[in-house]
Order: sequence, then structure tokens, then C-alpha cells
Amino acid sequence: MTTPDSQQKVDAYLEKLRRLLRGMNPEDAREIIEELRSHITEKTAVSGQLTAAAVSAALSELGTPEELAGQYTTDDLLMRAEVSRSPVRILESLFRWASLSVAGFFVLLGSIVGYFLGGAFMWCAVLKLIHPQTAGLWLLADGPGVTRLSLRMGFGSPPLGGRDLLGWWIVPVGLVAGCGLVMLTTRLALWCARQYRKSLALPWG
Amino acid sequence: MKQSRPAEQESADKWEVQLRKGCLELAILAALWEGKLYGLEILRRLESDSDLVVSEGTVYPLLSRLKVLGLVRSEWVESDSGHPRKYYALTPAGKQRSREMAAMWMRFSSSMNRLLAPLAQR
Repeated sequence: MTTPDSQQKVDAYLEKLRRLLRGMNPEDAREIIEELRSHITEKTAVSGQLTAAAVSAALSELGTPEELAGQYTTDDLLMRAEVSRSPVRILESLFRWASLSVAGFFVLLGSIVGYFLGGAFMWCAVLKLIHPQTAGLWLLADGPGVTRLSLRMGFGSPPLGGRDLLGWWIVPVGLVAGCGLVMLTTRLALWCARQYRKSLALPWG
Repeated sequence: MKQSRPAEQESADKWEVQLRKGCLELAILAALWEGKLYGLEILRRLESDSDLVVSEGTVYPLLSRLKVLGLVRSEWVESDSGHPRKYYALTPAGKQRSREMAAMWMRFSSSMNRLLAPLAQR
């Protein structure tokens, strides 16, 4: 039988992977762990001697838990995207990726900004229909010679000295810009995930 | 540490990696054509029936991806050696997809072979 030390090593490896896959559908994660446990058991049994060396070899052929989790996670992300392009789904996967790598963290950050801006434009377009006096893209004068653009989405009174830049145009412009930003963010996030996936452990040899 | 190599060699290696990577999905589907196999059997089939050396850490994530895409299904089977194994089999959609991919591959490779024939002659 496997020596206690080697068994501990396998358990630690799988436990680490389990933690990295947290956030994935629990049933799927459990199956992944069990499948790999079965693989390692058989791999080490075949080599005849259940030595620490056999266990180390089997584990290193699988890659580090981080690499494996990265492949499962980014695969999961790309796959979800093939099935549905829902930003919620994509953000969910990005959160998991962000917990695995710095690259994932920045992609998550960028995507949040992208989706937020996209959402703000769409929200503004809709609000213009309800509160035409206050919503819209306004040019506000903060002081003499100091102006700033503001996407106004609040209900309050129309800002003094401000100018509604787009008027009713904010409705079509906001919807198009909003949808465009959301789609662009999705594409960019998926492109990053694909690049990351490519950079992970070479599939051959 | 990586040994430094000439740039041409590096880019030829990269090309080979991309080429092999692109074939992996079809290779796995083809390995399952004759019946259900579990992960390690798939790896061994790929190694024995072809000279494709596959990294283990890539095949398992790819299998779970193929499963979500509905091209393969899986079931756990208790083995004689006492631990359960996860077997994979092609779904009807997976069979159709493999046939389509195989046909594409045949067409593509025969035109490439024609094109490359002069280069292969010494």
C-alpha cells in the first residue's frame, strides 16, 4: 500500500485543487477531484512500487494544482461563453480566475469597469424617457473655465449652468454605446482568457 | 533553465505545439470511437496508436469541456482493483461531430500532402 507520507502528499495536492476550484459547481468540482484521485491511484499502482518517487512523478505529470485549476477554470469560462454570453456568468468565472492569478485579477477589474460603464449608458438612456429634465449626458460648469462631462442618472433637479449635450439623442446613443461596451468587454475578457489558456502547460510532451 | 536555441528552431517548435494542440480534441474523440474508455486508457490509446505524447494535465480538463459541450457523456464504474473509474463515451452529437471533423481532416490533409509532396522528396 501507499506509504502514509505519499498518501498525505496526494491528499494535500487534491485538497489544494479542491480549494482552487471552489466557486465551480460543487458537483463538478467533486467529480474532478475523484477522477484525478482515481488516476493517481492507478498510475502509482501500475508503477509497481508505491514509493514517494512514483507519487511525485504522477503529480508532476499532472502539473501543479494552480495550472490544473487554471485550465479547468478558463475552460469553464470559455465554455460558458459558448453557451451563453451572460455578463453575470462571465463575471462569476472571472472571480474564480482572479483568485488564481494576477492576470485574472486585472481582467476581472477591467471587466467590472467595462460592464459598469456599459450598464450606466443603458440606464441613462432608459431614465431619459422617465426624467427627461435631469437625465442625460451633461456638460457641467464647476467654475469659471472648469467644465466636466457627467452622465446624469439621478432624479434630483436639473443642474444649474449645465447643458444637456445630447438631448433625446442619449436614448439611441446610450443604448448603442452601452450594448457596445458590454459586448466589447465580453470579447476582451474571453480573448484574455484564451491567451492565458494558451500560456498554460503545453499539452504535449 | 531553458537552453537558448536559435530563433528558427524556437518558432518551429511553437508551430508544432500549436499543430498538436489543434488536433487534440479530434484525437480524443477518435480514441473514443470504438467504445467507452476512462481517462488513463485514453492517454494510453493516444500514446500507443499514435506518436502523440500528451500531457496528462491537459486531457482531463479537455474531457470535462467535451462533456459540457455534450460531445461525450461519462459514468462511474467500479473496477476490479477497488477504485471507481470515470468512463467516457461519445454521445450521438459527439459521433456526428467526430465524423465531420474526420472528413474535414481527410480533405485538408490530402490537399496539404499534394502540396507538400515535392518538399518531401530527397
